[in-house]
Amino acid sequence: MIFTCHRPVFRAALRRLIQTFIAFALLAGAAGVCRAGQADAAELAKLIDQQVEARLKSEGVRAAELADDAEFVRRVHLDLHGTVPTLEQAKRFLADATPDKRARLVDSLLADARYGQHLADLWQGYLISPLADDQTKRAERLRGWLAEQFNTKPWDQIATALLTATGKMEDNPAVTYLIEGRLPRAVPDLTDLTSRYLLGVRLNCAQCHDHPFVKWKQEEFWGMAAFFTQIQTPKRAKQVYEKGVVDDPSLTLATLRDAAAIDGFMPRPPTFLGGQALTADAKATPHRVALAQWLTAPENPWFARATVNRTWWRLMGRGIVQPVDDMHEANAPSHPQLLDLLTRRFTESGFDLKFLTRAIVSSRAYQRTSRPAESGEAADKQAALFGRMAIKVLSAGQLYDSLETVCGPATKVTGIDARAGTRWEFTQFFGDSGDPEPTAYRRGIPHLLRQMNSGQFAGRNLDGLVARLDTAAGKSPDGTVSELFLAILSRPPSESELRQAKGYLERVGSTSNGLRELAWVLLMTSEFSLNH
Amino acid sequence: MMHAHLNRRSFLTTTAAGLSLNGWLGRLAAAAPAGQRPKSCILLWMAGGPSHIDTFDPKPEAPADIRGEFQAIETSVPGIHISEHFPRFAKLMQHAAILRGMSTLESDHKLATYHLHTGYQNRAGAVSFPSLGAIVAKELGKRDVALPNFITIGRGPQEALTSGFLGPDQQPLTVNDPIRGLDFIEPAGEAEKFSRQIELLQGFDAAFHARYQNPAGETHHTSINRAVRLMNSQQKEAFNLSKEPESIREMYGPPPAAATRPAPGVKITSGGERPGSFGQGCLMARRLVEAGVPFVEVVMGDGVGWDTHRDNFPRVRALSLECDAAMSALVTDLKSRGLLDSTLVVWMGEFGRTPQCTGGGRNHWSRAWSSVLIGGGIRGGQVVGRTDRDGAAVVERPISVPDFLGTVCTVLGVDYKRKNRPPGVPRPVPIVDTSKEIKLLTEVL
Repeated sequence: MIFTCHRPVFRAALRRLIQTFIAFALLAGAAGVCRAGQADAAELAKLIDQQVEARLKSEGVRAAELADDAEFVRRVHLDLHGTVPTLEQAKRFLADATPDKRARLVDSLLADARYGQHLADLWQGYLISPLADDQTKRAERLRGWLAEQFNTKPWDQIATALLTATGKMEDNPAVTYLIEGRLPRAVPDLTDLTSRYLLGVRLNCAQCHDHPFVKWKQEEFWGMAAFFTQIQTPKRAKQVYEKGVVDDPSLTLATLRDAAAIDGFMPRPPTFLGGQALTADAKATPHRVALAQWLTAPENPWFARATVNRTWWRLMGRGIVQPVDDMHEANAPSHPQLLDLLTRRFTESGFDLKFLTRAIVSSRAYQRTSRPAESGEAADKQAALFGRMAIKVLSAGQLYDSLETVCGPATKVTGIDARAGTRWEFTQFFGDSGDPEPTAYRRGIPHLLRQMNSGQFAGRNLDGLVARLDTAAGKSPDGTVSELFLAILSRPPSESELRQAKGYLERVGSTSNGLRELAWVLLMTSEFSLNH
Repeated sequence: MMHAHLNRRSFLTTTAAGLSLNGWLGRLAAAAPAGQRPKSCILLWMAGGPSHIDTFDPKPEAPADIRGEFQAIETSVPGIHISEHFPRFAKLMQHAAILRGMSTLESDHKLATYHLHTGYQNRAGAVSFPSLGAIVAKELGKRDVALPNFITIGRGPQEALTSGFLGPDQQPLTVNDPIRGLDFIEPAGEAEKFSRQIELLQGFDAAFHARYQNPAGETHHTSINRAVRLMNSQQKEAFNLSKEPESIREMYGPPPAAATRPAPGVKITSGGERPGSFGQGCLMARRLVEAGVPFVEVVMGDGVGWDTHRDNFPRVRALSLECDAAMSALVTDLKSRGLLDSTLVVWMGEFGRTPQCTGGGRNHWSRAWSSVLIGGGIRGGQVVGRTDRDGAAVVERPISVPDFLGTVCTVLGVDYKRKNRPPGVPRPVPIVDTSKEIKLLTEVL
């Protein structure tokens, strides 16, 4: 194991010194060195595989073989950049004969700004209230800010910025998380969201009653809720407009209850999950600052685990704990040691999401095919133990961005009035609120009618695609059909598909019309809508 | 086994049936004697929140700044008065129950819209609740039919018109503009081209399923097949209003060209809604109910709609007259076709508006407001609940969202206490939130 420095110790020391100028200079200097390197990630990938494969062996389940290059290149582009690869990217990767090409591809994808944009796209969906006014504008602002953060900052700093944001949305997009409509987000909502997305626990059942089979008690919900009272604006409806988010130390659960006659408020002092009270020092700072410090401390038992589990869930299609945000004693992880290992290493890396992601996608577990070699119970067990890759459904954002990659920028949607924010409208229509399981397909007749018959999927976009294909003189129909498959599905056609496609072109008569029709068919396949 | 149900040539084979639409609709209606027909629901959604005082709970005794500019008129039921701008509906009062005790918790548009549609307030919660339409679609809808069981007409509040945890089968199909008809129901190119493309698609997908044996892929393919089936069906003609006689189309409201223009400077709607489209939406709803769809929601007021913070009186007047024509035509038409007893029409918005009228506008008011139930076999000709002199508070028979939705479900024959088991949620969730005692409106049942 190679570590350039002992991060937990170093970080703790820095935390104590952080207010001095010298420490500030040290931190800046150390940041570059302390980032967990590629070697560390490769090491961790090996440990992941040891854990996963030991478990498979002990259960007598055979692991699936590794995915071929075509499966891999499409999968890793979708997972890290939120889109299928371009025709050129796919061809270049498939033609590359060097043995370390997968690792190099992963490095280049993580170094590209699209990585942060994709994560930002996912997280703005979690963090923005779907019920807020002028949601489009807010989402765009938050998305831009998050993209920059994910590309350059570790997760503890991003979480801190979100939780402690102040000011107006125009000046600080991070406050968007704390606002709903013209008001601060309600205390119970912030408690629920923060605990689910940053701590991986569901406290909201405990809002009204002690959780029946989990240890969360009503006091725990309201103890955490008390950290969000200071940004509320009872009887000052315009404050968020005029001043933005501001902390008012006089506001507690008790004063809020008295001010607004809110149902069910249980007055409690701010108390961290697990029962620790605020220290005297912390009482002097805004409560949200104290919460962020507690949350992102290396010894916090939930923060790193939740992030590891969510990252694994997003990349592998299923969490080590399922549901992804419901970690508690009675809901055991499928691979407890693996979860511990990843949590420890992620914490040691300084909450470096790129490091964690690089380690997971470098593992054999991630790089296996999703094609079942077995059937029935054996196949189910193989999938449950991460012995085979899960097939994930393209999110609305991935679907839109993949269409753009394949066909070029969207043309006007036929039959729908042109409104601002085409991508926004599309993702609203095809998307799902909250965080649906990555493997669940949730589109029905309305979506498929639009997918088949609107200009957004077909229409004249396909002319551009067909024109871009390399149809230089002397190219055989085989070659053109192959290019089309590569452009849309990132793989060459099978022999049978090639035969069917050529037969189709003959039937249509005109090659360019035939290719356009064929392109439409490929965009409608199950395969295009899935990340396999 | 994975692709056993992939219907090759499904587009080609199902187009042959040559029923005329009139014949088909007529038969369906005739085959359903009153009382035995399964119930349907048409929700007339008044987006923005109509003033209760200026519509169904007039306050002639209140001071002028509360009473407003409108007169109350008598209805066909002695003792019940409503706004003068619902003159046609006033003659149909015997079929309707006005619920004047609505008293709800949310006074923000989106939060209230979500609450009134799903029955739950849980905003940031992990559970994605289904809209009333999706619930009814699941409980009353037929499984193997071409038409979706939940259809919305007009640009609706998308975040509230969702099937939530009930999944894609109950997702609403949205008709953005009833005058234009259903978008994307016809292939972009010629039918012949579409057929051969679908045929090739079946082959490609079958090969993928054989290789990957994946349920998500199968669901995608099933959804394609269902969409193609709808494209091929006779029932899609229910979306085509040009099949209706001109006299019927006019009864539902002025055709778009003749719709009354608002006075200069007064903005009635802001979005893409055309004048007159609500009436045509109501007509389409009738056609869909005839075709067997259990739940149709028609939205009135895209954009500003009934959200009359300014110009309250001219705008509410214009909206009321348009709504009155459409809603009265719908009730009369359903009645004459023998469908009123099996079709519950619900008129409501997300809340009412303040009694005080300041600067010519009324603001949001959720503590006391009105909704209306019509037909569906309820006991009509009555008012349930009462507000105080100013329409500010409910003094008799307060109605919560669960009380209201529980009653609507009961009228439709849906057991509102039945529990769903949403995936990933460790507890069963009743159709209507039963955590507080539900007081059904037994007066109307």
